[in-house]
Amino acid sequence: MTSGSDAKPRVVRHAKGKRPKFSQVAGVDELMSMVLVLASELCVLRDRVDAMERVGARNGIDFAAEIERLPLDQAALEAREARRQDLFQRLYYLARKEAEELEAVDTAERYKAVIDEIAKP
Amino acid sequence: MLNTFQQRAHAMLPAATHDESSRQEFAKSLKQFVQEALLPGLQPVFARRAAAKFADEHGRAPADRREIRSAMLSDPYFQTYASTNRVSQELMWASVTDSIDRELPQLIDRAKSLSAAATANLKIPEKFAVPRYVSALDIHCMPGGYTTEVAPGDVSVAALYDRGAYLYCIGYCGPNNDDFGVSVCNYVKRNLKGFKPQRILDLGCTVGHSTLPYKERFPDAEVWGIDVGAPLVRYAHARAAALGAEVHFAQMNAEATEFESGSFDLIVSHILLHETSAKAMPRIMHECHRLLAPGGYMIHADLPPFDRMDAFTQFILDNETWYNNEPFWGAMRDMDQIQLCVDAGFARDNIYFSTAPMAILEAAAHSAAGYTDAAAQAVADREFAAGEFAPGGGWEVLVAQKSLNGHE
Repeated sequence: MTSGSDAKPRVVRHAKGKRPKFSQVAGVDELMSMVLVLASELCVLRDRVDAMERVGARNGIDFAAEIERLPLDQAALEAREARRQDLFQRLYYLARKEAEELEAVDTAERYKAVIDEIAKP
Repeated sequence: MLNTFQQRAHAMLPAATHDESSRQEFAKSLKQFVQEALLPGLQPVFARRAAAKFADEHGRAPADRREIRSAMLSDPYFQTYASTNRVSQELMWASVTDSIDRELPQLIDRAKSLSAAATANLKIPEKFAVPRYVSALDIHCMPGGYTTEVAPGDVSVAALYDRGAYLYCIGYCGPNNDDFGVSVCNYVKRNLKGFKPQRILDLGCTVGHSTLPYKERFPDAEVWGIDVGAPLVRYAHARAAALGAEVHFAQMNAEATEFESGSFDLIVSHILLHETSAKAMPRIMHECHRLLAPGGYMIHADLPPFDRMDAFTQFILDNETWYNNEPFWGAMRDMDQIQLCVDAGFARDNIYFSTAPMAILEAAAHSAAGYTDAAAQAVADREFAAGEFAPGGGWEVLVAQKSLNGHE
């Protein structure tokens, strides 16, 4: 929901319903999600590099040599830092959902109660 | 066989940046990998490790899906499989949410202008009671569920469903994500000889993926799609207009619609019933019987009952109940669906389960992106493994015909 009348509407980010536990070892589920997010971002990056190389090649540009000579100005430094912070937002999505669940008091008991209630003829 | 299936673009689909497209492809590829490479391992893990451990502790083999589940829960391979599958679902929705969040005001405007130019009806009442089985949990972990509106005229959850459902189906449902509808249409044309429906109702139509094929294949018929989600029917109406289909949509509850008795001769639903409840399902069957004209058909494409499969398969399929916010997934499969139809007024002799073959080869025939003949053939021919998306061969359909005199 928006915080004020002028604020841009934001879509919902987390699904309602207590997230199940898979590993009995604390933190392993979170690590699993983080590893997969990292793998996803690695693929995103690799796809972009692939796209750049293909675009360059179509236009007769040797990207490999150009990249080695590229200086990083202030705008480049800021863009890269913003991208890294965005990556951390994705990486820690579960920790943020857990905090939301605690705030909304959404529990595994409620989830189980919904299953029972909805199965009831 | 590499899966390079691509969804067909239309005016309502949110546009993705290069990075967003890559995240979406990653989620789809991960789902493909989980099905092809992790899922088959559950069988030997159960047979050689989890079942043996259970037998050591109990002096006997696990007797049913509940005991199989209890034996598997502590197994590290199962944990890796189940948690990877869950994360793939979360990343899939997240990959689409970014595009929608960026484009939301424009998406709402596009829906408004497309709908305004359409001749088909769009009915959304001022007040509507969303059933609890839709509002209690965000089904299949889709953030916002089917009904959340974050702005006036919102379509965000519908746009999320349109793109996300395509990725969930890993493209097996064709470039328009309409394989359920196309398959049931084909089933009607091939198996119900001489039956030419004039008025068709699609229950729980969401964004109209499976609704539009009916208008394409029965162009003279009046086709309606109804759903409990206002954003869904709003989006469905705009999407149909964008695709040039005159299909009517309304926000209604399939348990009690506002249509007149006997006013439809074909009523269908696609993957709807398992998202309802034990209270709602009998009401929906009754409503279908009320709405059908004598001789009319009701066809529900959904999950086959548990008594048609072994306990291990039941266990794998029931994972959706526990790990994907699908509270009715397992309980629905335990219900006697034939008896529900009988109780609703259909004659037992006129009720049966059948199979509607997948239509993915038609997508290849239309040269949709990524749908090569070989890749489509591989999906159509493959052996079904429990837990994969889509059975090999076809969808399970529950068919019932209302008797010609209207009474049983």
